[in-house]
Amino acid sequence: MTFYLFDRSFYIASDVLLAYITVILSGAALFYLITKANKWPTIKKYVTTTHHRKIGVLYLLSATLFFIRAGIEALIIRIQLAVPENDWWVFQGDKFNEAFTTHGTIMIFFVAMPLLIGLMNVAVPLQIGARDMAFPYMNAVSFWLFLAGAILVNMSFFMTASPNAGWTAYAPLSVSTYTPEAGNDYYVFGLQVSGIGTILAAINMIVTIVRHRAPGMKLTRMPLFPWSTLITSFLILIAFPVLTIALYILMFDRMFGTQFFTGEAGSPIYWQHLFWIFGHPEVYIIILPAFGIFSDVISTFSKKRVFGYTSMVIALAIIGLLGFMVWVHHMFTVGLGPLVNTFFAITTMLIAVPTGIKIFNWLFTMRKGLIRFTTPMLFSLGFIPTFVVGGVTGVMLSVAAADMQYHDSYFVVAHFHYTMIGGTVLGAFAGIYYWFPKMFGIKLKDTLGKWHFWLFVIGFHITFFPMHLAGLNGMPRRVYTYLPKDDVFIYNFVSTIGAFLMGLGTLAFIWNIYQSFKKPDYTGNDPWDGRTLEWSVPSPAPEHPFQPMPLVKTIDPLWEAKRNRGGKLPEAESARSAPIDVTSWQPIGLAGMMMVFSLAFIYHQTWLQIIAGIGVLSFFVIRNLTDEHVRVTREEENE
Amino acid sequence: MNTFKTERFRDKQLGFAMYLIAEAIMFATLFATYFIYTPTAINPIPEEVFEARTVIISSVFLLTSSATIHYGEKAVEKGNHKGIWIGLVTTFLLSVGFIGMEAHEFHIYYKEGFTLTENLFLSSFYILVGLHASHVLFGMGWMLVLAYQKNRIPFMNYAQKQNIFSYYWHFVDVVWIFIITLVYGPYLFY
Ligand code: HEM
Ligand SMILES: [Cu+2]
Repeated sequence: MTFYLFDRSFYIASDVLLAYITVILSGAALFYLITKANKWPTIKKYVTTTHHRKIGVLYLLSATLFFIRAGIEALIIRIQLAVPENDWWVFQGDKFNEAFTTHGTIMIFFVAMPLLIGLMNVAVPLQIGARDMAFPYMNAVSFWLFLAGAILVNMSFFMTASPNAGWTAYAPLSVSTYTPEAGNDYYVFGLQVSGIGTILAAINMIVTIVRHRAPGMKLTRMPLFPWSTLITSFLILIAFPVLTIALYILMFDRMFGTQFFTGEAGSPIYWQHLFWIFGHPEVYIIILPAFGIFSDVISTFSKKRVFGYTSMVIALAIIGLLGFMVWVHHMFTVGLGPLVNTFFAITTMLIAVPTGIKIFNWLFTMRKGLIRFTTPMLFSLGFIPTFVVGGVTGVMLSVAAADMQYHDSYFVVAHFHYTMIGGTVLGAFAGIYYWFPKMFGIKLKDTLGKWHFWLFVIGFHITFFPMHLAGLNGMPRRVYTYLPKDDVFIYNFVSTIGAFLMGLGTLAFIWNIYQSFKKPDYTGNDPWDGRTLEWSVPSPAPEHPFQPMPLVKTIDPLWEAKRNRGGKLPEAESARSAPIDVTSWQPIGLAGMMMVFSLAFIYHQTWLQIIAGIGVLSFFVIRNLTDEHVRVTREEENE
Repeated sequence: MNTFKTERFRDKQLGFAMYLIAEAIMFATLFATYFIYTPTAINPIPEEVFEARTVIISSVFLLTSSATIHYGEKAVEKGNHKGIWIGLVTTFLLSVGFIGMEAHEFHIYYKEGFTLTENLFLSSFYILVGLHASHVLFGMGWMLVLAYQKNRIPFMNYAQKQNIFSYYWHFVDVVWIFIITLVYGPYLFY
């Protein structure tokens, strides 16, 4: 679209223009509503907070926002693919590449990750009897770095420079020779900044779980969501640094003239190795926490202790371990040789064993249980068969010889959506419905929740099941159209219908949140008749919970207390010192500075790189000079 | 009262240890990159580039600084304030020596045309050794902040901060040992 201003013509793509208009209008509306409702003080509280529950809410809120954006992209992709030789709006060729790249990148890094880390923040400290995360200040830093990275990737579209080399950013396409525009620089810096936040979040989780459990809460008495969080955090700690370095090298290739991934001596395959050494553990990073959520939810709503607790923990650990030994299954077609392919095919198939153990344990947990079909439970029940399909296609893909056919086809697209939507997204929904009372003191509406569930799950299968068939009939992934004679029209058409059903489901979810705040159902401590410690503290969770500190003597301590002690948890004689809570503008300031720093690199502004670099470093100094531990020592000395 | 502090401080120690694991994996990945691309088919080869003298001198600086910061740690434990200053100042001076030598080394390489983009051996060399050098620089800034804080904050807090720093510094040193043995070593000393 071209328009004229002061005798000059400007060109702006109509999709970008529309996005600007939408964002500016909704921003203005939001501003107006916040001002009218006098909510700025609340917002300030959230921006400067270091409290785990509030930070968890911030993660979930941003994830929902990005879910909407990447969801709109998904609908765009589906519309363009609805009929053969479609020529809808602008989404052909490179625009289509941009749409699926940002869709995938945002969904994985800025939806799945923050949904899970958000739920961990809300629930894990309360489930283990911790008074906050071990490092509240760093927790805020993690969140704001994550958000800064997410905004970078999201803003690229508005600068008409979206990344376009796929969420996997395969070289040589991702290298500046082939994509000189700023798009993939946004990818590099966005993921880098948010990745640092994620590593810090994992460190925080590890220390919280290792050192802040309530007295008596041995590791062997810990609920399974904290367990999966602990194992996931170790996966993050090991996998994300590899991504950090992969992006660091890619940055040199794109900006400083090196040729690691291209040219005569460079090797595009090396990027694939680095990416998948990170990338495969990453897919387990986003599924294991969901496994933890399902375990807790299923146990609560079956009124039974989780079946095979020990085997559940061991299975988590084995999946985590094997997760590092399977990355080549993404590279079977590269030609690394039959021996390598066979080895990685076998390790990949092995993962199905612990995964199967978990599935059976969930089923046995429900067996003879007193099942209540609440919304979180429905999501868990929907998860089991869906995820089994994803697992079965996974094992099919792991047969290296067969993968020569499946690879890069819609069959793979179907596989990973069955695992990631069927697992991670349903898990996150279950968790949100389950712990919503702990976040806000109110329940989400059950009826609307059921609408949400059924629309979303039915829509999901209508969307993704046909993709298996499209893939088996030879439709490659990442193409913007196909021909009538390709015989895949019907699958695509059905898929597109399903996608809109999922969209409706998501609208039901958002409507549910709105309704639940408008006509709140206030709940007490324990709306679900829960089993674990988080249901012993008020809803929403207070800033200083666990006074007095409970003494844990079994798995499911609250349940045990209800059965044998009239619901009163035994009290511990003494508790360790709580983390120091502060409010601070520094985390958001640091993240903002990191964003400026990244933009200075993306647009090659050396002077700004220097200024922003000094700015970032000065935050380290400021932090050190305003350290709350010093203040606390002084206060205690003065007593 | 003291026990409370120790609890929080042990959180920090564990957290920082975890952070160093993440860092170690980053460096390990860069070492792997170096092995994959070195030596390359395109000249120059490492033997032409590396020079034993500068490597040895800078190593002496950096490795000694691990001993001096250790001395500083012992001084903290004994509450020996003079010893703390000696430890901090000598460590800082040695790090200046190290960075000076390294800058000198890179300068010579560049003058001889051994630049970042010359070939993949040099590229992977610079992104690894350069990242290490930036860690040393960061540590130097950290020491300046420590020196500034030494008499301005309660001793207990200072002691904690210096303790964390010395973990960092030892880590940076260990990475350097790997650099000598795996990056320079095969082409200089065998
Ligand atoms: C039983 C367990 C699983 C097995 C055996 C398995 C196997 C595989 C294989 C062999 C591929 C490569 C296919 C190809 O590109 O040709 C693949 C792709 C993929 N899998 Fe799985 N998988 C399993 C579970 C999961 C889970 C739990 C997730 C995530 C939550 C996941 C996410 C993905 C993704 C995102 C891709 C595609 C990556 C891309 O190329 O963009 N998988 N899987
Ligand atoms: Cu994989």
